[in-house]
Amino acid sequence: MNIFVMIKQAVDVELNIRVKDGALIEEGLNYVISGWDEIAVEAALQIIELIGEGTITLVTIGPDRSVDILRRGLAMGADKAIHVLDDGFEGSDSFAYAKTFAKIMDKQHYDIILGGRQAQDTDAGLTMSMLAEFLDLPQVTNLSKIVSVGKDKFMVHRRGDHGNEVIELSLPAVLTVNDSLFEPRLSSLRGMMMAKKKPLETVNLKDIGVEPGMVGREGSKIVVSKLLQPEVRQAGRLFEGNEEETTKQALELLVNEDLGEENLFS
Amino acid sequence: MEKILVISETKDNKIKNPTLELLSYAKSIGIDTNAVLIGDKVNCQADLLAGYGAKTVYVADDPSLGLYSTSVYTKIIQDVVSQSGTSQIWFTASELGGDLAPRIAARLDVGAITDITKLTVEGQKITAHHPAMASKVIQECSFTEDGVRVLSIRPGFFDISAQMAATPKIVELSIPEKDLRAMVREIVADSSEGVDLTEAKIIVSVGRGAKDTSGVELVRPLADLLKAGYGATRGACDAGWMPHDTQVGQTGKKVAPTLYIALGISGAIQHLAGMTGSKLILAVNKDPEAPIFNVADYGIVGDLFKVVPVLMEEFTKMKSGKQ
Repeated sequence: MNIFVMIKQAVDVELNIRVKDGALIEEGLNYVISGWDEIAVEAALQIIELIGEGTITLVTIGPDRSVDILRRGLAMGADKAIHVLDDGFEGSDSFAYAKTFAKIMDKQHYDIILGGRQAQDTDAGLTMSMLAEFLDLPQVTNLSKIVSVGKDKFMVHRRGDHGNEVIELSLPAVLTVNDSLFEPRLSSLRGMMMAKKKPLETVNLKDIGVEPGMVGREGSKIVVSKLLQPEVRQAGRLFEGNEEETTKQALELLVNEDLGEENLFS
Repeated sequence: MEKILVISETKDNKIKNPTLELLSYAKSIGIDTNAVLIGDKVNCQADLLAGYGAKTVYVADDPSLGLYSTSVYTKIIQDVVSQSGTSQIWFTASELGGDLAPRIAARLDVGAITDITKLTVEGQKITAHHPAMASKVIQECSFTEDGVRVLSIRPGFFDISAQMAATPKIVELSIPEKDLRAMVREIVADSSEGVDLTEAKIIVSVGRGAKDTSGVELVRPLADLLKAGYGATRGACDAGWMPHDTQVGQTGKKVAPTLYIALGISGAIQHLAGMTGSKLILAVNKDPEAPIFNVADYGIVGDLFKVVPVLMEEFTKMKSGKQ
């Protein structure tokens, strides 16, 4: 079983993120493996454990510092990693990411391609489904449960809008994970030591056959013209004390708000 | 000339409100709009779509379409796009839209902007706001090319206009073969009954503060009384107290009701990313330092087990007109 996990290094969204003149203020930012991608690595490990054999390859596109997340995934237990490192990738959108991943996968033998349901920096959720389309593979997004695994058939749950869809899936396929699927394991000291010895291949766009016009701003379908700071909600009134009294006080004010909605409470 | 195709969504064979929001907004900006309706026994809903502005309704109605299939739905939409001269495809930012929008965009070799909270359409130019980084920033996005543009729009950001009497032109679509590579066999429980979260004017949500299912059951009558959607945090869902389709947040439902009542919810960014678009927020939490109070218009520091009975009593009085 050959599993590939597409991972991305992204801004740590638990920390403060500030915008100035349409761009991020770099100071104070921290970069981590995107949360859903970390769960995807965990899913790959669990699938291999269930099947009893197989290889996990991590793939990332990003600057030098992206090596950190490959090391993290290798320390969790993945077997090898591919790092696409190229300045020409700057400014690429999800479409260009998907095209690049597709170029890499064209040369690989794979059964499963895994990734997060979205990257925690863009929150777009486009790349993996686009990749599935470019490779003409079936996709299951927002995977919430793995029911059974076989050599070429899986039974999984996809969290849909109205419940869990029970899906019978033939491999090869593209899967993206939901955050309730698994809790990613910690890396052990031994894992971290071993990670240093695992194969980590660095390639540029030319190596994988990506033409310059396919990526970067030129190859992108979407452009982010600027970043805005969302309107911050102001903290309102806080009521402390005896719950019966405070609740009544708060409610009296609340129901007299003009919400542009008649008969909300009738 | 621009032409919009709205991808309708249904639940129990009824059109969902977010679809009507899309149609209403398309109508308000004066662009020709058609809709596609996919499902099993859904064709009776075509008149409703016309009533909100769809000129032509493309219908794929077949028993095989009762359960969602990425591949089959993509083929149907691709077919409609090519026969209707569509220049913009509008999805709801739902799990269905999230699965389909990138797939159809890639098929058509075009880009997509997802989870839009503000949309400006001027002639051919589209500018959209897309919340990113757990909604800590807003990306202002546009398309780099003309041609078909794919969008998905977050529910609750456009008003639904009045329904007109109208009869649509109906085009019956051919039904693609099943895709045996990925088959949805059934939809299993773990799904909620009651008011759909993306349609509710009021949402009552619980978090870890509910302690266990007893807290969940304490709150349920309040949701019923207010005809509210009953939501939850990821914590409450993962603990098994609430069905997973009630999860509000970055990876659950993103909602923007008139009133959001957060009970025993601390306010993790994951949750806040899905509900800070609400008009008014009432929060109840024991911890005065809980981040939920930073976004709440009214915050009550206290135990939800004590607050909920008071809310029940007061709202009941209000309903019976005694106040």
